[in-house]
Amino acid sequence: MRWIKVMIAVAGLLAPAEYTRAQTDNALAYETVRPSRIKVGESATIQVTSFGRLKDIQLPTIPGLAFEEMGRSEGFEFLNGTPIPATFIRIRVTAQFPGVFTIPGLTPSSQSIGLEVVKGDEPNPYAWRSQMPAPPPVVPASLPKGAQLQAGGAAFVHLGIPTRAVYVGESVPVDIELGLRPGIVTSVNGLPTLTGSDFTLNNLSKQPERREQAIEGSTFVVLTWHSAVAAVKAGDFSLSAETPVTAKISTLSAADRAVASRLAWPLLQSMYNGIAPKDITIASSPSALKVLPLPTEGQPKDFGGAVGDFQVSSDVSPASVAAGDPLTLRLHIRGTGNFDRVDSTMFDHLDHWKTYPAKSSFTPSDAVGYQGEKVFEQPLIAAQAGEQSIPGLEFSYFNPNTRRYERAQTPPIKVTIATSLDSSSLNALTGVQSLNGAFATGSMQGLRSDHPPPQYWVSELRPLYFRAPFLAIPTTLALILAGSWFAVRPNAARATSKAAERALARLDAAARAGDSSSFFEAARKTLLQTFAARWQMPADQITFAELKARLGATGEDVGRLFALAEEARYSDYQPGSTDFQRWLALIRGELAGERE
Amino acid sequence: MRASKIPMLIAGLALWAGQALAQPSQPRYSADGLYNLANSYARAGKPGLAVLSYERAALLAPDDPDINANLAYVRASAHVSMKPQNRLARLAQVTNPTSAAWLGVLGIALVGIGLVARKVAPRFLWIPGGGILLGVALIAVTASNAILLWPRMHEAIVLIDQTPARVSPAPMADTAFVLREAESVTMTAEHEDFILIRAGGGLSGWVSRANLGAVVPPVGGERSEAAASRLVSTDD
Repeated sequence: MRWIKVMIAVAGLLAPAEYTRAQTDNALAYETVRPSRIKVGESATIQVTSFGRLKDIQLPTIPGLAFEEMGRSEGFEFLNGTPIPATFIRIRVTAQFPGVFTIPGLTPSSQSIGLEVVKGDEPNPYAWRSQMPAPPPVVPASLPKGAQLQAGGAAFVHLGIPTRAVYVGESVPVDIELGLRPGIVTSVNGLPTLTGSDFTLNNLSKQPERREQAIEGSTFVVLTWHSAVAAVKAGDFSLSAETPVTAKISTLSAADRAVASRLAWPLLQSMYNGIAPKDITIASSPSALKVLPLPTEGQPKDFGGAVGDFQVSSDVSPASVAAGDPLTLRLHIRGTGNFDRVDSTMFDHLDHWKTYPAKSSFTPSDAVGYQGEKVFEQPLIAAQAGEQSIPGLEFSYFNPNTRRYERAQTPPIKVTIATSLDSSSLNALTGVQSLNGAFATGSMQGLRSDHPPPQYWVSELRPLYFRAPFLAIPTTLALILAGSWFAVRPNAARATSKAAERALARLDAAARAGDSSSFFEAARKTLLQTFAARWQMPADQITFAELKARLGATGEDVGRLFALAEEARYSDYQPGSTDFQRWLALIRGELAGERE
Repeated sequence: MRASKIPMLIAGLALWAGQALAQPSQPRYSADGLYNLANSYARAGKPGLAVLSYERAALLAPDDPDINANLAYVRASAHVSMKPQNRLARLAQVTNPTSAAWLGVLGIALVGIGLVARKVAPRFLWIPGGGILLGVALIAVTASNAILLWPRMHEAIVLIDQTPARVSPAPMADTAFVLREAESVTMTAEHEDFILIRAGGGLSGWVSRANLGAVVPPVGGERSEAAASRLVSTDD
């Protein structure tokens, strides 16, 4: 016993230092407020619980809330069955106006808390909360059969499987229950799994069922998953489920706890440091399961591995179609079992029908797909018109209840196939409704009839005059014509001839009238214009010498004519008719020479 | 001699060009074919495609009474109003656009030949003068036909009922107004898969290209007019 005295002495020496360290440490603490919802003017109580010696705390300043320390006390908190010394501080908080307040943690290690303050004379703004059904009372219960508490009594796992023997491939429902003590088990880190590789586990239900139960004096939250397992081979197996969780458990050994319990309380304060969250895996007790092989005797040739209890039926839609139009044949398989092995190829070949590959869809009626309905759909097209019969469909499976293979068959189906394809198609076409509903069936009676088949086609709807290749044609044509207009010269001879004829007509008229003045003046003017055009020179520059040089002897006659014109202007010269004719012949001769 | 050869040259060139344009390598459209197709769409309860086909048929045969009657009937059945046409427009559109195009060429030829003839032969001036007047009249017919048809080059038909016209060319843009099936709109701009249209009453909005069918498909094929493409392929 000597070593015990030595230990006590050492502990006595270390106690002051330990005490000081505890004062400065941020001791684990938490806060609660009750009630969490009050009216204006009412008060709630905040209790601060600290696992260590707590210095004076600083009351917060929050507009709308008044804080007042009511007192402090020291005692023990029981954690995992172990008494832990703790300090309690009680604070009264009084509401001054409504609102939702967040009160910060009053110690460095405590979390903030919320407080709702409502008016006393108005409807509850959070009525939806108060209208929620009250939580069910915690039901006293016992541990499931075969289950054992683990993690220091904070959790358990139970696997519920059928006690009867099952067959290879048979899906059997299983329940996995996970019991947790809230506060001690802080989290579930994964879904339950089965141990062993000889079974397949279907997808677990998405959300586990949740209930609270009082088991062995403690409140447990029990989570239940539903699923189905199937054995892949025959034999005797031991099956269990396991789940990873995080739980607060003591990391000290039993000997350390026994020693520490004899020490003074300042040293015991350090014990909470030995209680820490830890990731562990808890497993259920093994359950025995006997798996039988499927019997080979009486196994149908078309057996595809379906094990369960099924019922079948079939239908077809539409019941009346035109030859060439498709219809859909459906096979419904309902019941319980391994629907993943339920399969049917429907009809590979059917006389007077064109068959297409079938497709299937499964609609579960429970959370794990153990119970439901699988539908196979196969498009068919009738090749002949008239009354047709679609043979019944068959489906083979093994029934574990009767322990033998069974064959389910649907009755034949009668289908009426219309004789006229065209009329049916036309009806289908005219039965199309537009979105606005304006075009009802048969509402186009006012349309004029169709035209004969077209004989003339064009490549483009755009008119010719908007197409560049066509525009090149009038453009080219216009350019050619414009060039021609500029290129072509007027016929000067013909123009002169007409002028000469007009001048001769005037001269002849003056000669017959005996108007010598007009005759000679017109003759002089006509000849001067003719000579000017012929010789390309101005008329006023044509002199007598020029006439003589260019016309020779005729030039002298022309000069005589010009002189008579001057004489007739200023004198009363009257030549005879013979003279007029001679001068006319001269002029006509000169003009005729021009025309040639 | 030179002047007498020019009309022959022009006539030969016009004949060659006309034959080249009148013999398409890939025949696709005909007034009767489009009319029959429109009737099928109308009986099937698709007024948008029916009106589009009638409009296209009317481009090729504007004076066909059956096309105009059925077009008016389908528009009335779809509760879509028709634009009233004035007398001048009806008169100008009696002429087939193809005929009007060649009449214009003939008018240019008459005017040009008349002018040249007046210069070459001053005698009997009333003959080239009459030709010039006739040519000008023919050119006027062609020009008025083109002017009246020009808006239809940018016209489109709404193929889907309750087609939203949006305030901007984006699928999630707000809807400015809603168009009825078989309604005629004018295309004014385009941006990616949206076309800016102007509907009756001066309303403008962006419409998805797939909901419209252009009366005159763009050159080189209907790029994104799914309905128009179906229309043409069926017609073929």
